[in-house]
Amino acid sequence: MAVTDLPEFIRADGPDKVTGSGRYTADMTLTGQLVAKFKYGGVSHGRITRLDVTAARAIPGVFAVLTAADVPDVRYSYGLADRTLFATDIIRFEGEIVAAVAAINADIAQQALDAIELDIEMLEPVVDLEAAIADGAPLVHENIDSYEVTGDTPHSGNVATHSSISMGDAEAAMTNAATVVTSRYLADASHATPIEPRAVIAQWEGDKVTVWTSTQVPFDARAGVCETLELPTSKVRIIAPHLGGGFGGKCGAHFEPHIAALARVAKRPVKLVFSRWEEFIAPDRRREAMIIDVTTGVDADGHIVARTGEILLDNGAYMADSSFFAQAAAMHVAGPYVIPNVHIDAKLIYTNHQPSGSVRAPTAPQGCWAVESHTDEIAKAIGMDALEFRRKNIVTSASTGCVGQTYDEIGLDQCLELATTSAGWGTELPEGEALGISVGWWPSFAAPAGAYAKLHGDGTVQVITGASECGTGSVMTLRMLAADEIGIDETAIELIYQDTGAAPAGPGSSGSQTLFNHGRAVEKASQMVADQLRELAAAQLEANAGDIVLENGAASVAGSPAISIPIVELAAASETGELLGSAAADAIEWPEITGSTCLGEQGFSSWLAPQFSCHVARVRVDADTGVTRVLEVHAVHDSGTILNPVAAHGQVEGGVMMGVGQALTEGTRYDERGHQLNAGLLEYKLQTIADAPTITTQFVEIFTNNAGPRGAKGLAEAPNVATCGAVNNAIANATGVRVRQLPMTAERVWTAMNNPEAST
Amino acid sequence: MTMTIANSLDDVLSGLANGARPIAGGTDLVVGSRQGKGALPDHLIAIDRVHELATIDVGDAGTRIGSGVTHATLMTNPTVVDSFTAIADAAALVGSPATRNVGTIGGNVMNGSPAMDTGAPLVVLNARAELRTLESTRLVHLDELWVGPGRTSAQKNELCTALVIPQQPESSGSAYVRLEYRRTMEIAIVGAAAAITLDDGIIRSAHVALTAVAPTILTVEGLAPLIGKPVDETTLATVAELASEQAAPISDLRASERYRRQMIGVMASRAVDAAARRAGGETLSVPVNRALGVGAQS
Amino acid sequence: MSNTTGPSAVTLNVNGVPYPIVINTDRTLSTVIRNEIGLTGTKEGCDDCECGACMVLLDGRPINSCSYLAAQAQGREITTVEGLASQDDLSPLQRNILAAGGVQCGFCTPGMLMSATALLNENPSPTKEEVRIGLSGNLCRCTGYARILDSVIQTSVEIN
Repeated sequence: MAVTDLPEFIRADGPDKVTGSGRYTADMTLTGQLVAKFKYGGVSHGRITRLDVTAARAIPGVFAVLTAADVPDVRYSYGLADRTLFATDIIRFEGEIVAAVAAINADIAQQALDAIELDIEMLEPVVDLEAAIADGAPLVHENIDSYEVTGDTPHSGNVATHSSISMGDAEAAMTNAATVVTSRYLADASHATPIEPRAVIAQWEGDKVTVWTSTQVPFDARAGVCETLELPTSKVRIIAPHLGGGFGGKCGAHFEPHIAALARVAKRPVKLVFSRWEEFIAPDRRREAMIIDVTTGVDADGHIVARTGEILLDNGAYMADSSFFAQAAAMHVAGPYVIPNVHIDAKLIYTNHQPSGSVRAPTAPQGCWAVESHTDEIAKAIGMDALEFRRKNIVTSASTGCVGQTYDEIGLDQCLELATTSAGWGTELPEGEALGISVGWWPSFAAPAGAYAKLHGDGTVQVITGASECGTGSVMTLRMLAADEIGIDETAIELIYQDTGAAPAGPGSSGSQTLFNHGRAVEKASQMVADQLRELAAAQLEANAGDIVLENGAASVAGSPAISIPIVELAAASETGELLGSAAADAIEWPEITGSTCLGEQGFSSWLAPQFSCHVARVRVDADTGVTRVLEVHAVHDSGTILNPVAAHGQVEGGVMMGVGQALTEGTRYDERGHQLNAGLLEYKLQTIADAPTITTQFVEIFTNNAGPRGAKGLAEAPNVATCGAVNNAIANATGVRVRQLPMTAERVWTAMNNPEAST
Repeated sequence: MTMTIANSLDDVLSGLANGARPIAGGTDLVVGSRQGKGALPDHLIAIDRVHELATIDVGDAGTRIGSGVTHATLMTNPTVVDSFTAIADAAALVGSPATRNVGTIGGNVMNGSPAMDTGAPLVVLNARAELRTLESTRLVHLDELWVGPGRTSAQKNELCTALVIPQQPESSGSAYVRLEYRRTMEIAIVGAAAAITLDDGIIRSAHVALTAVAPTILTVEGLAPLIGKPVDETTLATVAELASEQAAPISDLRASERYRRQMIGVMASRAVDAAARRAGGETLSVPVNRALGVGAQS
Repeated sequence: MSNTTGPSAVTLNVNGVPYPIVINTDRTLSTVIRNEIGLTGTKEGCDDCECGACMVLLDGRPINSCSYLAAQAQGREITTVEGLASQDDLSPLQRNILAAGGVQCGFCTPGMLMSATALLNENPSPTKEEVRIGLSGNLCRCTGYARILDSVIQTSVEIN
């Protein structure tokens, strides 16, 4: 179908997505494919006393039943290698996989699950963060000292890792402060909740396996398959079809190894598609619950002089990718403020809950919510306007932040002014309505990434990248970069992506890195093609290559656009009939700091190309019920240069909306045995279009050293940082009471209003 | 299993006599079977194409709303919106447009869930369920029909063919409100319906029923002190107090018992207020949850 | 009266095309559309009428096909996202949702388009609030909804 007259920056995968022709993993069918299902432990803590799959294997139509005994004995996870593909002895959360089956259809697969004989001795579950670190608490991992350790991961007992950030002398400064404010906040766990439940298909040909999977990170998925099944990299190919959202939840290797293992034994392709319940309980990516205690001292002028904090984070049963969470949380509780004396301690604690892992700006929404609520409490305590207090204390260009990083030119002050102006800070609002301010920050991540560019003899280009399109549209921006470098129209660029068999490795769609890292590689690979074009054109135009301009599909000498050679002719006339570029993104130096991370350094103490934001929320609270609606969010972001405005606005709007959900209705509920009670979309409530606030977005575009292509920083996670805090401050301003637990459900708001003593 | 698509009421009643179970929209049945609440019946008879079940007729004995009338129709039908507004309020809050297109009032009533939105409105409007077999027809008061959560007193071969609602007196109004954490796609955490008849601004009759605070829809007793009074803060406070006292809510992940008990009072007084305003001739759009307060459009 | 015992032969009309197929009577419409008829634009996101990714039109009105038995759809006209575009070009709504930036991961998009198509057929000039209520059964995690809302309003302006 010819799709005509669409505006600039339209996503190349758009027509596939609106017509239904685009294939997501669950949409694929391979000849002879079997259906996979998992047998889960079903209890949050227990010892397997008997596991017998004989009867299940005997069922006609069952082609494979696997347990820990059938795969290599490999422990994995970054930080602490604490996990195996299948439970070996101890079940540590309800979604832990005990066995996997592959059968000719779903009904028979279910029969096989039912025929697995599993006896479990119940163990006392660890479900409370403070109890978990008390003396004599049952241990989630009895043999933690035998686990392989990577990175700086100090651990003991149920403490999986422990980080602190420290500068100056917080204790002494606190003693001398004019006013000291102490706050405690509790954040429930929550979920990424992409609308697409995950799916995996694996097929072996000889000793090579191809896995189609709904992953954000094909290269990490490949590494996971190779590590756990002890396969060489060259034997594993990961392809991600269209991806139905991830939000961090589809990072890491998940179930690709299980399905590859099943397919190898079954000698048939095997397909897994998760139900929504499985999507809630099984992945090792859940946004971590937290307890945050924070104390701040200010001087008589309202300047912050000291901050101390204690943070407990719920790691769940396994590490996944959470080893940096303690340090990241500490940074968020310090916040983007000038604080000369700071000491924050954070512990990541094993429990018998589902493992925590990266969900869009991990630790940030909760940490920011707590510290921004605390910030308003400080302002209130000293009788200062919340905007004025932030003006006095936030980091600005050339100021030094909480661990002693001195910033280049940054735009947080502009974000604060623009967002509060946009929202009308200080104007009278109707009864029951109020505004609340929150500022937030988030780093950019530099990681290795490569790219190839091929200019064909017909003038079209293929850009082959390890980037992944999670929905953000930032992959589409890569076309723009290539088109600009090579001087041809964006529509002539075809992207090849989400295939480890084709592209050089890269971080995929994680950590807001698509443009930041893959973009730098694509830019460089395209420049290599452009350089060759300039050489070819220079020879024909009898000029210096350095003077050749590539634009509008033609090469000309600078200043003489009238005489030009079409790029397609240059490419066709090249020796091989195509021009090739291949490049890796340059390494970037991380900024220096003067403070320290006493322990648990995981790369989060100095923030490369930091992004800043200010959100101002307008809420309406029903005083009789506590039901709160967010009517408006004014979001202003410093994410450096904005290259793709449609995608950038989409990221902010989506991130804010996710934040509104986390603020009001999205919280994972557990019973006392560690079972999730609301593992479905009726009881775990995403916001609907009828709840959506009006979101007003502005960007402060400041060129930042050491940023990504053309001064762009990351953007996908930053919009998810500040909204919860803004909503809480607005609720406090509307009701006069402070809600101390996230999400701020109607009942919690009502309880705070009716039991102020219980909640202040 | 089998699926029979019925084209007439006789088809359905014969099917039921032979052990088939009726399916209208099927949402509760299909979702329920997937969630392990009970396997799909062996023999289903689809009743959604039986025209006799999908009509709304106004007669001397009252208004007869066919059991196959969908929520989408209930929320827009002029008879329902004008005369039995609480039903329209409730129907408009059910699920999404897609669920309202297939969900029916008969399905709601016969599921017998204490959280059903149309239940409390039917109770305050004094509706009776028409139950038919091949041989018999009987009218059953709803408090006799619902015997527990998800259980009715209907026989297996009986089909609920209609809800029959008496004509309401002049100067009557009704309303249904519920507590919602989101503006749409909610299930009643607590809800309340009220039917009020006024006489020159003074309450002549008042009926209030509550959703999701007891094993079945709960009728609020002891409203006699309201009769002869205007609808003001005092009477609304009385309603709230009576509703909170009589409710027997549970604690679950949607709300605590304490919060539910307080909220049912708020909902009951809001329902009475809205019903009285309608009785007084004021137009409050359907559903009233989205006409007033925090649920209103911004 | 027609009687279907599963597995049994039924004919489903999808996007104007009759599909004579053999299905089990307990299969849902979404499963049959995806696996038997082979139109995978209709997505499955939750299995309990909460996300709307499976939405199709049944005689022009949106339903959640994940919770509707396929056998019950005999004799009715089913429209899926594959039925929205003409042979030559996208429908105005498809074009506008793309142009507005209302598509990110795209997984909710088919259901969203079916709801919006039905809404505009029934009410060609909806208010923003009517669009919000009309699309309330379709969850989107990516966009924050603003651009989806804009694209429906834009389409209503164009078609009037």
